[in-house]
Order: sequence, then structure tokens, then C-alpha cells
Amino acid sequence: MQTFAYFDSGHEFPEEIVMAAGFTPYKILGDVEAGTGAADEYLHTYFCPFARGALNQALAADDDWAGIGFAHGCDATNRHYDVWRRHLGQPFFWVNTPMKTNPTARVFHRRGLDDFRADLEKAYGVAITPEKLAAAIRQSNRIKEKMRRLAALRATRDITNPEYFEMVRTAVQEPRDRVLEYLGELEREWPARPAFPRALVPVLLTGSDVTFPGWMEVMEEAGLRVVRDDLSLGERYFHAAIPETVEPLKALVEYYALQPQPATRVPSDRRLDYLKTALWESGLNAVVSQNLKFCEPYAIDAPWIVNELKKQGIRIIHLEREYTPTLDHQALTRLETFRQLLE
Amino acid sequence: MRTIGIDIGSTTTKIAVLENDQLLYTEIVPTGYNVDKAWRELLAATLENLRLRESEIDRLVATGYGRNSVDIADRRITEIMCHAAGIVYSRPGTRSVIDIGGQDSKFIQLDADGNVADFKMNDKCAAGTGRFLEVMARALELNLEDFGRLSLVANRAVKISSMCTVFAESEVISLISRGEERENIIAGIHESIAGRVVSMMGRSGVKAPVAMTGGVARNQGIRKALEEKLKLNITVPETAQVNGAVGAAVLARKI
Ligand code: SF4
Repeated sequence: MQTFAYFDSGHEFPEEIVMAAGFTPYKILGDVEAGTGAADEYLHTYFCPFARGALNQALAADDDWAGIGFAHGCDATNRHYDVWRRHLGQPFFWVNTPMKTNPTARVFHRRGLDDFRADLEKAYGVAITPEKLAAAIRQSNRIKEKMRRLAALRATRDITNPEYFEMVRTAVQEPRDRVLEYLGELEREWPARPAFPRALVPVLLTGSDVTFPGWMEVMEEAGLRVVRDDLSLGERYFHAAIPETVEPLKALVEYYALQPQPATRVPSDRRLDYLKTALWESGLNAVVSQNLKFCEPYAIDAPWIVNELKKQGIRIIHLEREYTPTLDHQALTRLETFRQLLE
Repeated sequence: MRTIGIDIGSTTTKIAVLENDQLLYTEIVPTGYNVDKAWRELLAATLENLRLRESEIDRLVATGYGRNSVDIADRRITEIMCHAAGIVYSRPGTRSVIDIGGQDSKFIQLDADGNVADFKMNDKCAAGTGRFLEVMARALELNLEDFGRLSLVANRAVKISSMCTVFAESEVISLISRGEERENIIAGIHESIAGRVVSMMGRSGVKAPVAMTGGVARNQGIRKALEEKLKLNITVPETAQVNGAVGAAVLARKI
């Protein structure tokens, strides 16, 4: 099955339409080890390094990808569309997803999904039938359900931060049949793991998407174990199930409204509500909030989110991180201090 | 109980030896490129000076950016916790600590019991740190002591608009060529560093008494500029530069 890559700063891209068209959706995460050198020829270095890393990967992908889709996201994502279109050869698609979730936004969203389906059908000569969409939704839901169950084990079993990252990365990049097999293996293995290590402190992780395991390793090294999060490469991906009893594209619109909200969407209240609920549900009182250098949406949200959570008596640290595979010693010191304060 | 604290900073490595509540010994050496060599030689020299064997040390805590290289440490504790413990030891009752070291600056808020309530650190940038001052002193052909002292006789502070170490250095060079007085340039540098540190601190969190630690605490000009911006007195303990090591030795007693 051919790969169809997509660039999405949240979790708005309708993977199921791509699956119904016969492709494996592949979320572009860049390669932090490869850096951003090639992309820097087309983009200034003061833009989000993750987005530059994504372009870097796309430039090297050549014909590996049958097409590239963009979901309306942060400003970096949106304006990258033009830059990518000019410098890459693959067919390009744009999915208009709304900023809000009110009734007007839902009508707008539906039209965006209809257009995307029609664009794919035309470009690849395929028929994306309601039956194929429903099958894709069922497969996605099975994946999300397994991920929810596995993610819940973070609070009670010894599941490392990089292992959790790897579970989500696999789910958004690998062929979905293989993802189901892989998750099945984890379902057999993870429940038998030793109990949550007493030396580690459980926290909720929020902020810019963590797109490479290095940051998860820094947190692990600092003695902080992520047991809840609201990342697009995390709970946002599997929190909700796509309704299976309504017409498929309508179901995707409903699903979008149920997802925890990223900082690229307004207003931020829903994002804060999700964080508060997650903390309350899991009895956590510690949050690590971080934003990738030059990631504006999360930097804009951070002071308000941090203060609101502090008002609830939550211990929270906010830091800016680099796009680098090497161990960030300053971040490690801050995170270790945070852990020592929590002990 | 005899404890040792070793604080490995980017510029200097510090040691403090505590016997019960008494500070027995402190020493500072340059860290250099070989962190391992720096602390091992410092520890050996300290034990020799005190005529002690390693077995006569009850506990050792390492801190600072090189803390993980101290393989014989009973515990490695971050410099923020150690600076807090150090100031509680030397200046009990302190509520705010400003620590400016070689490569970072920190602000530590303490509660009434001397526990760390919150902390902030500078961004990953040399602006506002000891390294920045070193570069500026070099550009003005002064050693660090004279650099700090000279600003006290300035009649005005020249505005320095760039806080990037590289650009600020060229800005300073162009100010010199324009004939600005050295002391006024230094006063301007101190003001801009103080402004940066104060904005990192966020005024609302600053409670008196305020103490300053770290190598830059010896710079009277910075202290004065910070006092003016905060409108608060800042005390500098005699152990300011070894405060992290003292704190590590204090915390070693508690583990
Ligand atoms: S990291 Fe931030 S700026 Fe970069 S693509 Fe994601 S949301 Fe946009």
C-alpha cells in the first residue's frame, strides 16, 4: 500500500479519507537527527524548527510518497503549504479544517472534507465510497481504543516515556494493519510490566507536540514519568472514538469536535478544560508545560494556562526546548529541580 | 558529621566542607575542559589540606552542570536546591536569591521555612550571565574586579541596545571609538543585564530579604543596578561564590 504523507500541527487531518482511498496515512514528523539543512534553503531559521524538519524530510522523500496533504493548522503549517508546493513534486492537497467547533464551523468543516474526498478521487482515479470510509473509521477506532487502554497503563505500570512516544509514532506512521498487530503485542506485554517505579514522579505533559524521543528521554532522566498528556502525538490522537452510527464524513466532523483542543485553535478554554479534567481524573498535581523554540501557538497559550493551573494548586513548570537530539542539560536541571520540589 | 559539597559550574568548580554546623573549608578552581580532572584534583587537595582521608567524609553531594560526573557522590542535587540550602545556611530568613553564574542566571523564591517555592532560569543564551560580563570586560581591556568597580564612578549609564553577547561586544567597541567613557559604558552594560534579570524574575515574585550568590555577586556594579531596579537592598554573603557547594554540603547532612 502506498504512503500518503501529511503535515498537521494538530490532529485535524482526516486520515480515514486517505485510508479509504487505499493509502497508508503517514504523519510527517521530520527527523531531528537529519536536522533542517536542506529546508533552511527555503525557510528562514527563525521559523519553527519542527516545521523546517518536516520540510527537510519531505525534500528527501522523493517518490516515496504518493501525495502530501496539509490540514489547516498553525501559521507555520498554513504558510508552509506554498513553500512546499513550489519545491516538491508530489500532488498536493489542502484540507480546510475550522478554527472553532460551533455549528457554522461544522458546516464549513464538512465542505472541506467533501472537497478533499473529491480531490483525492479525481487525482488518483479512486472511488471513496461510504462503505470504504466506514471500514476505515472502524479500523481507526480499533487502533484508538487499544491506544487508550495502553496509555492508561502508564499510571500503574513501568512504561517509559520513550516507549509511550514510540507507540504513538507507530500509530501515525505505519500501515494500519501492522499498527493493530503491534498494539496487540503491547497489550500482551505492558500489563505484565513491574508496577510504576517509586523513584519516579508522575506528571501530565502539555505544550508543543513532542515529535522525537529525545525530549521524552530528558524527562525520564529527570525522574518525571508522563502518565497523562494532551499532545496531538498523544492523547489527542486517541482520546475520542469516531462515531460509527452516523454517515462517515458527518462522523469525522463530530469526532473533530470531541477531540482535546490544541493551542492552534480558539478559544483556549477547551484546552484548559481538558487539562483540568485529566488532572482531576488521574489525581495528578504536577504538570510539565513546554514549547518548542519559535512555536508561537503554545507560547501564546502558556502564561494563561500556567496561571490558571497554578490557581488550582497544581505544581507546574514551563520551559522552552530546542529541536535537538542531544541531551539538553539546562532543561534537565530545571526538570530535575521540579522533581525534587515535588518529592 | 562531616560532609562535602562539590559544585561544578561552567567556569569554576567549588568545594565546601562542613563539620556538623561549622563551615571548615571552601575552595574554588577553574573547571577547564576536563570536568572529571577538576573535581578529583580539588577533592584530593582539599582532603590533603585538611589532613583527612576519604573514609573520614560521611557524605558527599555533587551539584552544578557537571554533577553527574562525580561518580563517588552519595547524591546529585540540582544547583537550584543547593543554592537555596546554601543561603538558608549563611543568611537564614532570605526569601529571594539571585544567582548569576558563568552560563546561567537563576532566581529562587524561598518560603518562610526556607523551602524552594519556585524558581526561574534564563533562556539558553549567555546574555546576562558571567560569560557575557567576561566578554564585555575583555572588549574594554579590564579584569572583572575593575570592571565591576569602575561602574560605581560613572556619571551616566550609556544605553546598550543589544543583549546578544556577540552584537553587544561590537556595540561596545563602536561606543569606545565614539569616545564614550569606559565607566559609563560599563554602567550601561550593568543596567541592561539587571533589566534582563529583573524581567526574568517577574517583579511580583520578589520578596525581601534578597540575597545574591554566584561569581557575578562580586560585581558591585551589577548589584547596585539590581538594587535600583528592584528598589530593594541585596545582601551578598561572604560565601556567595561557593554558595552552591555549601548548600550541597548542608543537604548532604540530610540524606
Ligand atoms: S511546533 Fe508549533 S509552530 Fe511548529 S508546527 Fe507545531 S504548532 Fe506549529
